[in-house]
Amino acid sequence: MSIKGVWATHRNAVIVTVSTLIILFPIAYSAASSILIQTPDPFLELPDEKYRECVRDTEYMRFHHMDLLKEIREEFVRYGNRGEVALDSCRGCHTSRRRFCDQCHNSVSLSLDCFGCHYYPEPDGAS
Amino acid sequence: MNRRKFLKASGILLSGTACAPGLPILTGCSSTRADRERVLSKYKWGMVINLEKCRLDCDACMVACRKENNVALHGDKRWDIHWIRKVNVRQKDSPDAAWKPVPLLCNHCEEPPCAQVCPVQATYKRDDGIVIVDHHRCIGCRYCVIACPYNARYFNYKENPDWPNKEYPKRSHGVAESCNFCAHLLDQGKKPACVEACDKINANALCHGDLNDPDSEISRLISSNPVKRLREDLGTEPKVYYIGL
Repeated sequence: MSIKGVWATHRNAVIVTVSTLIILFPIAYSAASSILIQTPDPFLELPDEKYRECVRDTEYMRFHHMDLLKEIREEFVRYGNRGEVALDSCRGCHTSRRRFCDQCHNSVSLSLDCFGCHYYPEPDGAS
Repeated sequence: MNRRKFLKASGILLSGTACAPGLPILTGCSSTRADRERVLSKYKWGMVINLEKCRLDCDACMVACRKENNVALHGDKRWDIHWIRKVNVRQKDSPDAAWKPVPLLCNHCEEPPCAQVCPVQATYKRDDGIVIVDHHRCIGCRYCVIACPYNARYFNYKENPDWPNKEYPKRSHGVAESCNFCAHLLDQGKKPACVEACDKINANALCHGDLNDPDSEISRLISSNPVKRLREDLGTEPKVYYIGL
């Protein structure tokens, strides 16, 4: 049976099959890529032994550092209240932005604009 | 437990759980927000500009401001930003009258039109009277630029390529900005950069201080000199006073 013949007899079936494949493609693609392509875990550079104590515990910082930063920001920008921590006090211990902040943010494709305006130095000179 | 008691208790319990997430994360802060607001509202910052002392070909204040606050200078007047700028004026009807330099900056109005039109409350008046922009909130609508009768507000049409003072953030492309009396320096108990620069060259044309304090130099200058403010007819109550305008 030629292609023309299939199209003539099973027209609806062909349309349904092809459109189902197109619809399912992104889901199948992302599922397959997550299984097949191994992305390395983000490597976070830990600060020096003597700075091991963060302002909050690790669990809190891991999931809520953005809440803390937002709270600090509101407090400082709107009420002039500079608390014990600020974004620029992070860089005292976490010296490299590329080897700390960017590691996780890049791996989850999160682009932040904190550092467009706030300075965060790199130890090797690049900003 | 009767019905009434049960309802009372559950109401208290519910309101307690509703309030809990609202508690500030910064529990370690030495003072509460209310304390800080009181501290700020103690002051009412203002500035007196003595035009008799201001020098004609001097731009010390402008340079110092640019350096301290990372104010963008692209070299094109469409995009240049000035937190403080100087214009030369003279009497219109007498052509041989001397030019007079007038520094212009944000007047930190008591009734700031820029803050009134801001749709997201990014521009607001702090408790010490400083009109300041929260650049995180600014959506770049430019209402404030249009509303300001003093043309003191500028918009970042371009990213600023220079970053002279790394301790102070610069502004990204797409937000409005204006002078904030160097609020970060005032909070540390210092003087604004322009005043510092003017004192450094011994011109002493700029005087910044607390208008609430009757013994401060600024209050003395205002009471002992004929002072003018710009466009007083608008009712914006500016806090920048000019001597000899």
